[in-house]
Amino acid sequence: MIIPMKTATKRLDVTSASADLENKTLAQFSRAIDRLIYLASTRDYNTGLYYHDGLASRYSADAASEALALCHQEVFQQLLDCRLSDLVDQMEGYISTAHTSPKEFITVWRGIEPYRITVPVNTDPVARELFASNIKIALAILEARLKRRPEEGSASSRPQ
Amino acid sequence: MIQLILFLGVGVLLFASLFLLMRQKPRSEGGAEELCDAREALDSLQVDLLPPMLVRRIFAKEDLDFVRSAAPRDVCDAFIEDRKRIAIAWAAGLSQQVINLQRFHRGSARHYAQLSFRAEIELALDFAVLRAACRMLELTLRARGPYGAAVMVSTATGVATRVAAVSEQSLAFLRTAAMTTSASPVAERERRG
Repeated sequence: MIIPMKTATKRLDVTSASADLENKTLAQFSRAIDRLIYLASTRDYNTGLYYHDGLASRYSADAASEALALCHQEVFQQLLDCRLSDLVDQMEGYISTAHTSPKEFITVWRGIEPYRITVPVNTDPVARELFASNIKIALAILEARLKRRPEEGSASSRPQ
Repeated sequence: MIQLILFLGVGVLLFASLFLLMRQKPRSEGGAEELCDAREALDSLQVDLLPPMLVRRIFAKEDLDFVRSAAPRDVCDAFIEDRKRIAIAWAAGLSQQVINLQRFHRGSARHYAQLSFRAEIELALDFAVLRAACRMLELTLRARGPYGAAVMVSTATGVATRVAAVSEQSLAFLRTAAMTTSASPVAERERRG
């Protein structure tokens, strides 16, 4: 099989850019849920293309966009594969770093379901629904925990 | 004399038939669209529906046990209802893609893949078993929920994986084109110009 030179070079660029992204930027996040939310935030809602200035300056805008898309799919897959108990732990950790009270966070996430836009574009509907269901149930479990320990829910960590 | 004219007439007819048959283009069974549909069905099976991790997660009993231990009854009921809906959607997707693949194998696979007669018979049997298993699976999921169909899930995924592997051989030549392109947003934009 003959692969055109331009395609091979571009693929190499995407591989290097992905490794760069994983080692430098994504390594700062200890949880997959944080990585997913970060990667989804680099995507333009209207075009579906990803942007990262630092990565684009080291490689190319196209390679950076493809590397971000690739990492986004990988991280989404990791979250889809993890046990519900692990996902609940990750969500609990993520909520503890958000600048709002757990109660408020859960209310907002259940209301506007922002996790639905963190799913990569070409995801199969079954996987999409499984992910949304897992997050929904994780939020319900965390809410039930808060009800058992109400003092945690009202303690806001919002910066003054 | 009449016999001679008859023989000549038959001869001319035979030559004319042969000439027309030779000029006729090969029957275009299985056009590009049919091939692409089959490739899509196969990709959907292999990438979206059959990965063991996805199947394991949809039907994971450990998740149910966790929810039972960590959440109140209403959350547990919502979880089971969600899983049931997702499992039925998964089984319906599997069934649909199997139908799409079977259509390809019935119609045009033999023009592209050199499958032996025995392999074709085995494949036909596998398709028959798979169609029946998918139907049974959907009914079982509706009646007993996602945690009462473990054997059926295992049977359906096992046969589907085998069928997908045979179909992969039939459609292997399409991989070359797919490898030089990508499904990424950038590649998508380039394709659209």
